[in-house]
Parts: sequence; C-alpha cells; structure tokens
Amino acid sequence: MSALARLAEWQLLVVTGKGGVGKTTLTAVLGRLLAGRGKRVLLLEVDPRESLHQVLGTDPSGGEIVQAGPRLFIQNLQPGAVIEEMVRDKVSIAYLARKITESTAFHQFIEGAPGLKETALLGHAYRMLHSGRPKVDLVILDAPATGHGATMLAAPGLLAKAAEGGQLGALAADLAAFLADPSRCGVVLATLAEEMPVQETLELIDLLQARLGIRPALIVANGLYPSVDEATPPGRSTDFLRARHQLNESELARLMEAWDGPLCHLPLLPLERGPTLVAELARLLSEADP
Amino acid sequence: MSGGLLEGRLIVVVGAGGVGKTTLAAALALASAKQGRRTLVMTFDPSLRLKDALGVGASAKDKPIRVIEDGPGFLDAALLDAKRTFDRLIRTYAPDAAAAKRIFSNRFYRDMAGNLSGILEYMAMERLFEMQASGRYDRVILDTPPTTQAMEFLQAPDRMMNLVDSKAIRFALDPWWDGKGKKSLAFRVVAKGALELSDRIIGRQFVLDVVEFIRAFAPLFEGFRSRALEVRNLLLSSDTQFLLVAGPGADRVPDAMFFLRKLAETGHHLGPILVNQVHPTPDPNAGKSPGMTLLHFLAERDQRGLKLLSSLFPGAQAIIPVALEPLPPADLKSLGQFSERLMKSKPIK
Repeated sequence: MSALARLAEWQLLVVTGKGGVGKTTLTAVLGRLLAGRGKRVLLLEVDPRESLHQVLGTDPSGGEIVQAGPRLFIQNLQPGAVIEEMVRDKVSIAYLARKITESTAFHQFIEGAPGLKETALLGHAYRMLHSGRPKVDLVILDAPATGHGATMLAAPGLLAKAAEGGQLGALAADLAAFLADPSRCGVVLATLAEEMPVQETLELIDLLQARLGIRPALIVANGLYPSVDEATPPGRSTDFLRARHQLNESELARLMEAWDGPLCHLPLLPLERGPTLVAELARLLSEADP
Repeated sequence: MSGGLLEGRLIVVVGAGGVGKTTLAAALALASAKQGRRTLVMTFDPSLRLKDALGVGASAKDKPIRVIEDGPGFLDAALLDAKRTFDRLIRTYAPDAAAAKRIFSNRFYRDMAGNLSGILEYMAMERLFEMQASGRYDRVILDTPPTTQAMEFLQAPDRMMNLVDSKAIRFALDPWWDGKGKKSLAFRVVAKGALELSDRIIGRQFVLDVVEFIRAFAPLFEGFRSRALEVRNLLLSSDTQFLLVAGPGADRVPDAMFFLRKLAETGHHLGPILVNQVHPTPDPNAGKSPGMTLLHFLAERDQRGLKLLSSLFPGAQAIIPVALEPLPPADLKSLGQFSERLMKSKPIK
C-alpha cells in the first residue's frame, strides 16, 4: 500500500517539525488531499495566531468549526477553553463550575500541571472522532514545533502516570493507548532539506522512538530548490541557485542515510501562500506518493 | 557604524522558529569579540554543525567554553540545559543537603520538573543572570529558546513570582493537610470540597505528590522570588537591547509585528530589526529557466515583505535586510565571513 493510502486509513495524524518548515501548509495540503479521496477531515490548529484559514482561503475559526471545502473542516483550539468545557461537563452545578473556572487557582493549575493542556487538546481530537458534530473520519493536528510536538505526544502518558487512579488519569491512559496504536495514529514530519531542520528531524525520529516507540508514518521535505540546467548562463544568480540545490541534495542524502521509511519531496514554487499553492502541492504530493 | 547592532551589555535575540536566530547570535558574538569585547554567546542546543563551528560540545552545558581569543576580546559559548540549571538552583537555595535531597527524590520533580510550562524559559533567564553577574563578560548575547507562544521567557520572572505567591501554594502549605492544623469550619468545608474534586478528577496520589513537592520547595521560595525580581530588572535595563529577527516575505510580517507589539507593551528596549534570509535579485542576463523564474518571484516577494514591514512599523528603529547565504556557515572561518557581511549590512530606513 502506498504511503498516502495508508495515511487515509488512520484516525489521527499529527504533523510536526522544526519552526518555519511549513507544518501549517502541509497540514492544509494533507487535508485537501485526503478530503479529495473521500475522507471527512478536520484540521486542528493550536497556534493562537491563526493562519490555517488563510492558507485554505476561508474564514478564521475563532474556536468554532469552519468548513473549508467539501468534507474539509478547520478549527483553532485553545487548551484553556477545552479544559473549561471539561470542567463544565464534570461539574453539574453551573454555579460551582463557574466558581472553579473563574478562580486564579484553577488557571494556575492549568498553567502549572504538566501535560494537562496537551492532553486536553488531544482529548478533543479523540472526542471529535467518536462523538463530534460534524462527524469526521480523520483529524489532522497541526502540532507545535519539534520539541514541543514530542512533549505533546508524551503528555497523556506522563499525566496518566502522575494522576493514576483519578478520572483524569483514566482519560489520559485511554489517550496514551490511542496514540500508541499504530493502526489508528500516525506522525508526519515536515522538514526543509537544510542543515538544522534535517538535524532536528533526525533527533526527533530518535526521540519519538525512544520515548514513545513511534516511527513516523511519512517525512515530507518541503521547499526544495530546482536543479539548474547546463544551458543557464553562468553568473552570480546561477551560482546561488546551484548552491541552494546542492545543499538540498546533500541534506536529503544525509536524511536518507538515517531514514529508510516513506519520504516525499515538495518543490519551492513561485506561488504565494494560499489556496492555489495548497491545491498545487496536493497534486504534486499525490503524484509523488512513495 | 553598524546600525547599532552591537549595543548594550546584554543583547537578546528574539524571533519565530526557523528564521536563523542561532546563526545570527553566533555571528554577532564573533563580531563583538573582534571589537575587543569579552563576549559570551548563550544558546539552546544549536545544530551540530554550528556546535562544530564554535568548537563547543556537550561540555559547554556545565561551563562556558572558549571559542576564540583576539587581543583583549574573546568569545565564550555556553549551551543552556533547563534541568541542570534547575538542579543547580536547588542546591544553591536549599537550606541544607537534606532539603535538596527531598526535592530531588520527589516523584513529581523527577518526572515533570523539566516539562513544567515556562520552566525552560525561566531557567534560561536564571543562567543568563548568573553569567551577567559573574563580571567575566562585557557583553552577553542570548539566543532565545524556540517557543510557540513566542515571548514566554519575558514573562517567566513574573510567572515565577506569581507562582510563589499563589493561593494554591499557600493552600498546599497549610498544616491542615496532615491533620495537624486546626481550622475554621468554613476552611474545612472548602478544603474537603477541593480534596473530593481532586480525588474524583485528578487522583489523590497526584495531589499529594504535588503538595509534597511544594512543601519541599517552600524554603527556597524567598531566594527564587528575589532572583526573579533581579532578572526582570535586568531585562528592562537600558543596557539590555532586544534584536528582533524576522523571516523574509510578506507572509512573515504578521509574526514580526506580533513580537514588536509585545516588546513595546512590556517596555523592553528594541534595537534594529533584522530581516533575515532575503533572496538576491537575479542578474538581468541570468536567463528565464524555471529556477530563475522562481528566484525572481522569491526576490520580489522578499522586497515586498520589507516594504510592508517598514510601512506597518512606526518605530524609529532601523530595518536591516540580511541576504540569504547560498550555504550556511559551517566553520569558524565561514561564520567569520558571514559576521563581517552582517556588520556591513545597510538598513532600508
């Protein structure tokens, strides 16, 4: 089975990578591609500075679920809001629930309790798959950058261990089991074929393996410079392009020395960040399906 | 005149992920050392090649490593490690060895202290203060940690002070938890409610671990609070300059504006703004291959980004474009060449 066909089988895809490598664009591209193949897809964005809607050319979410195309939805989600919803859900007396969510102690607890915010976000994704409106088959999470992304995936396991015995611990344990199930969840790594992003990608592959036993489902190398053909007149610009292309080639080679799993290449295109770019990249990714 | 890139005793390099902060911080530090300043660059886990370029390995986590010596000036590099700094801080402020041991053996501290939100940022500040106060350096350049919420480290000292003063912590310190303290009925009812809520939702063992952690930690609070205050004052000092690094292109302008707004709100001193990784405009006779079409697009996009930023940003600070290097600096020599080009960069306003 091809790598993309396998992605469509999963329920949760977590997209992560170093800052500035195009995670949000890749999330949109995967969403468009898999929705195009008949899946009902929800894209979850956790960065409070919303940008997913711009990439897809739709209205900002502001916390709500917004339709961004046939079978494609987006939502920007803040952990505080999800946790407050959880409390309202558990504490049946509205007055008491409000007292709790308005207290400073509660906010300090949310800020301080390790793994709680991350677990709440993943818990929301899990709920959307099982009892959400609209019904979706697949959630793609545009996760925080590398280090934070790995922390996010490790959070439910940590919290389950720390809060063993309580309802929160049980919820976290369910989530940890869900995340560890390779038939339901996958991690997609975005990178650039440059030195630091490749280095972080290699470190992240090891970290995911060591801490969580997860092997990424797919690595996407973004923003590749084209090769320069022999007929191009020599000069400063030609040298510049050639050097960038060679840098990409040697970094891809370094990546492939350590990674024998599925890898897709996406070119740097002369297009503004937006729906046209997303559609074009989705088409190219579909063709390049490893 | 360098456009004021190297001013102040402390330079904090900030910006979104992937804009080249680490390389720029190292290049600025090198220039500072060459100007005869005793300089330290502090960074979070730089890439291997940059570690090679600076000639520092994991040993720089414990103490700064000498990179170059040039007349009166020199460059040291230090790598930041949050957990090690936290451990060292506990050893410093704990009243005795037994108190430190109690914290180190607490389950909550062992599993989670390194993951506590904001701790990484706070520890960076703590280590920074330590180095600044050592008197060994004329200038310290800090490459800030990659944070998604951007400026968390600026708020880190305040958050540490708030945490120490918080009601939740007072509550945890109350002897009532051991059954020893005598309390009013009202307190007992509230505490019972909190305990039941924690039992049902959070789990009692977790709460007890946290309570135990806070109690073991309490003797250190005073030290933490006064240090956090000093760190805050250091960041607000007129001798501290913040350099914002932005990515090229109009897409990245909202990120840059976000940082600029935050810095203005908090009253930190802003230096020149560096727009990094700007693509060169192709030679007129370079032809029309797909590669050149792309380069035309990228160069034009980056120029548009610069114009947009300078039209939106009302401040008096210079905006300095820095050209994208065909190859990133991989050794001290290429870093030195990049550093010289950087110091000659001309502002657009």
